Amino acid sequence: MSQITKTTYQLPIGPIHPALKEPVMFKFEIDGEKIIAVDVELGHVHRAIEWTGMRRNPIQIIYLAERICGICSFVHPMAYCRAVENACNIQVPERADYLRVVHGELERIASHLLWAGVAAHEIGFDTVLFLTWEMREKVLDLIEYLTGNRVTKAILMIGGVRRDIKPENIPKIKETLEYFKENYKKLSHVFLDDKTFKMRSQGCGILTYEDALRLCAVGPTTRASGVKKDVRVDQPYAAYSDLDVDYMTPDKRTGEINGDVYDRIIVRLLEVKQSIELIERAVDQMPTGDIMSEPKIPKLLNYIKKTAGEGIGRDEAPRGEVIHYIKFDGVNEQPFTWKVRASTYANILPWIPMLKGQQIADISIVAASTDPCMSCTNRVTIIDKNKKYMLDKEQLHKLSVEKTRRLMR
Amino acid sequence: MAKGLPKSFKKSLWVFHCNSGSCNGCDIEIIAALCPRYDVERFGIKLVGTPRHADALLVTGPVTRQQAERVKLVNEQMPDPKVVIAIGNCGNTGDVFYESYNLVGPIQDVLPVDIHVIGCPPRPENIIHAVAKAWTKLETLEGK
Amino acid sequence: MPEKKTKKKPAEKTVETPNKQLSPEEIVTYFKDKFTTKIKSAEIKKRATGSKKKEFVNIWMKIDKSIFKNFIEHLCNLTYPHLAVCSGNDLGNQIELVYSFSIYYGKHLQEISLNVGVEVPKSKPEIETICDWIPGALITEREKQEMLGIKIIGIPDSRRLFLPDDFPKNVYPWRKDEQTKKEIEKLYKNLHEGAKKK
Repeated sequence: MSQITKTTYQLPIGPIHPALKEPVMFKFEIDGEKIIAVDVELGHVHRAIEWTGMRRNPIQIIYLAERICGICSFVHPMAYCRAVENACNIQVPERADYLRVVHGELERIASHLLWAGVAAHEIGFDTVLFLTWEMREKVLDLIEYLTGNRVTKAILMIGGVRRDIKPENIPKIKETLEYFKENYKKLSHVFLDDKTFKMRSQGCGILTYEDALRLCAVGPTTRASGVKKDVRVDQPYAAYSDLDVDYMTPDKRTGEINGDVYDRIIVRLLEVKQSIELIERAVDQMPTGDIMSEPKIPKLLNYIKKTAGEGIGRDEAPRGEVIHYIKFDGVNEQPFTWKVRASTYANILPWIPMLKGQQIADISIVAASTDPCMSCTNRVTIIDKNKKYMLDKEQLHKLSVEKTRRLMR
Repeated sequence: MAKGLPKSFKKSLWVFHCNSGSCNGCDIEIIAALCPRYDVERFGIKLVGTPRHADALLVTGPVTRQQAERVKLVNEQMPDPKVVIAIGNCGNTGDVFYESYNLVGPIQDVLPVDIHVIGCPPRPENIIHAVAKAWTKLETLEGK
Repeated sequence: MPEKKTKKKPAEKTVETPNKQLSPEEIVTYFKDKFTTKIKSAEIKKRATGSKKKEFVNIWMKIDKSIFKNFIEHLCNLTYPHLAVCSGNDLGNQIELVYSFSIYYGKHLQEISLNVGVEVPKSKPEIETICDWIPGALITEREKQEMLGIKIIGIPDSRRLFLPDDFPKNVYPWRKDEQTKKEIEKLYKNLHEGAKKK
């Protein structure tokens, strides 16, 4: 007599997957449509960057740090430069501090818009994907205008920045900011008042306040759960201490905190608005002066080589806090230790409580809600006893789209 | 568009994108090429979700140990005739990641690469140009 | 048929930070009173940024391994910390782990970065897990296991994290000794040189 003894099945997702910026492998234990257990495997894009960094000189590492993540190509070198500045006691000129704010916030707008488009795509709302990505091109235009490249900017240097914003650049910045102010209303209307978005994101993928604290979540993920944690306010770096930044939590708009996907959308959109205002203020208040503490690179390298010390550098990336630890021994040019903690690193564990109890069709939007990147494609295998069904990205996406359609009826 | 491309195409070109350990810079530029500013979908170029539907494979990133087998698998699943496009400096030469204990790349050591696109990351225009070249190659392959 | 969504309420805020907030100097005295000589060194570093030159504080502490778990317990009772990362230095005969915490976040300019260094001998690289106090430490502890060969006692999940499964056991890439260098050499690949040969 054959009896069904097994009531749950395994569902691996990845490592080639659309909702994540790196190939990651999920293993789900599912009961019908419901997820009851989650396991995460990492390391598919482990390029041994820290190990490589311990064989290069401090200037070369800036460019290595820039390529840790193509989307956070400003915040990683920024955290690295700040770590070196703290370890070797290098003072950054005031103007450079303001320039760092401008570039950091431009990257935040680009990254949040990228995310918003992806989130829309995940629930089958491609019109909004194209709308937000068209707006994103405007930021990239400005970034290219100010730095010379769209994605990897190579703007930072230990003790300052490499390019100044000249008076003739200001009108273009203002013009772009005006465009964003106009379009922000449209964007927030599309995301926050739309019935479809509300249906798919409210009450979905909840991260409680307690879990956010205990699992050390960072960035918009933790702020959406009501934890007030933002390096720009807690321990302001660059010129943020002058610019009066505030925590963006979802209760600023709705008056309540649920910690669901909808709240994470609210937080990111509020931050886009905040970034626009910050850039405006930074450009207006920018003092004159040098942009680099030591323009002669060999002299700078020599100074770092002779200095022994350790330091940490932190900054608030679009996805959350980034922290770099560096140690110099005072003899070698290469750093003794270099440790990078990217923001996603801290947001892996919070996935587990978020995904538990959700449906398969919600996987992509929930996994995406901590900040994904549509960089990969995915493949899902449902292991049903001994049979294997392949569910590719399209089918998973289709499931998600079907759910939206079903809810709209 | 690339030289040698006929005015009318036999079919539209579908591409599959595979990340073999890249930093995402190239990946977002590929998506940017699909979005309204560059809008390659007007030519019928489409990003598909499975390699079994694809004519061209876009690979980004130096190949890591874990991804090497998977990239090969994806390539095998694609029907012939097919082209492989290596996108980004690190996929072609290693770039800043040239020394490491966890890489087996560059991509040409793992897969037969037809078209190399350089740039870190390459601009969307470059990617579109590469895909158009791939198209020319496919059209001539089928013509014979 | 429309699916019914069960709306879960977020749990009560049980992890509360006490109202009383200690200054950096008070924190150092607090721990020095508790553990006396077991705190090997404590340093407060202040740096300023921006044009208003507001200061932020980093505390660097070196503590003895024997009080490590106790230290974390006291810290959690003082205020619930956010563990940012645990870094590791190979100092030759010792491996130093640097736990970076941030405490008192939630108010403008109030946050303090607390970096706690613990040395473990290389001959017996063992340290207790802190996952029972801070569950979020799991990822960084797993990373230290594979990268530096530290044995974390009582870790809930001891699988590998970043390194591939076929990576040789007993090779820990971040160690700086001769044996590791030799082993890494076997796996090492210079992509530029490989390209030149062709």
